[in-house]
Amino acid sequence: MSVPEGHYPENYHPGSDQPDLNRPVHERYPQIRATSGYADPRVTRTGPGPGAGTDQQPERSAALSARVALAVTVVIGQLWALTVATDAWMKGSTDTAWWCTGFSVASFLVVVLAWRISRQDR
Amino acid sequence: MTTEPSAPDEEERAALRDRISADSLTTRRDYLRIVATVSGGLVVGSTVVAAGVLSRHGDGSAPPLKVADALTPGQAVAFGYPGEDDRALAVKLADGTVVGYSAICTHLACGVLWQQDRGTEGELHCPCHEGVFDVRTGEVTAGPPPRPLPKVIMVEDAQGAVWAIGTARSGESERSGLCRGLRASDPALAGAAGCRADEGAS
Repeated sequence: MSVPEGHYPENYHPGSDQPDLNRPVHERYPQIRATSGYADPRVTRTGPGPGAGTDQQPERSAALSARVALAVTVVIGQLWALTVATDAWMKGSTDTAWWCTGFSVASFLVVVLAWRISRQDR
Repeated sequence: MTTEPSAPDEEERAALRDRISADSLTTRRDYLRIVATVSGGLVVGSTVVAAGVLSRHGDGSAPPLKVADALTPGQAVAFGYPGEDDRALAVKLADGTVVGYSAICTHLACGVLWQQDRGTEGELHCPCHEGVFDVRTGEVTAGPPPRPLPKVIMVEDAQGAVWAIGTARSGESERSGLCRGLRASDPALAGAAGCRADEGAS
């Protein structure tokens, strides 16, 4: 399969300067053998290596999962506080209802913190 | 002979396939935003509850109401007190005690019924979710209701007529409920009747 014109780097032509080495090859860079390896000056882009396409910072992903879990747990606590506040109000304990509201506000602040604390996490 | 699908159909199908096969349509960051929104809504709800948007049986005061000329043991009567919409019922127990309660279940506000043939001396029963209240105290004895029934304070006069004279909230003593009502209508009379400042204050 031939490579279209204009796809080669400048001052480059396929094959070796030594004609006897120019066996039929199909790669774009036939001189770069599997043994060229590290520190071959012709290798300027390493390309995808092992682990390519996977999460590059798994600790950040885990932290985001933990933040979601924390937020959900806090909201469950808020639901409980709302039931306590409703019961307290119905029994005439207005002070208790307001304390529950304060707890709910504090919980909301925790959730907002968990949401906004690190916006670049994916 | 089959017909080839038109090009737009194929594009739509391909777009739909891409969308369905996407790794995650809602990211965890989206979940955090949704959870934060729910959390804010709960704060608003709790504030509204504490500020007093929910109506309670017995809010406000009313003059004594004659609910029946006479009750026989085991007999019940339904009435509205202190307001016409505050549904309540009074029951005369076998020993002659007259008790009164809100007839609105504390679970999901269904109607509470007097059932003389249940329990040792009858029960107040909510048929919606099988809630049961003790007829002598109003406490929950079975089912999902979270609070005792609010009380309506009943008295029987010398002629046997039954009167509603006040209310007490869930778990509140009759004295505290009477003092609260008296303080709302006539603070001086509440003081003269010996109501302490902390009785029925809320």
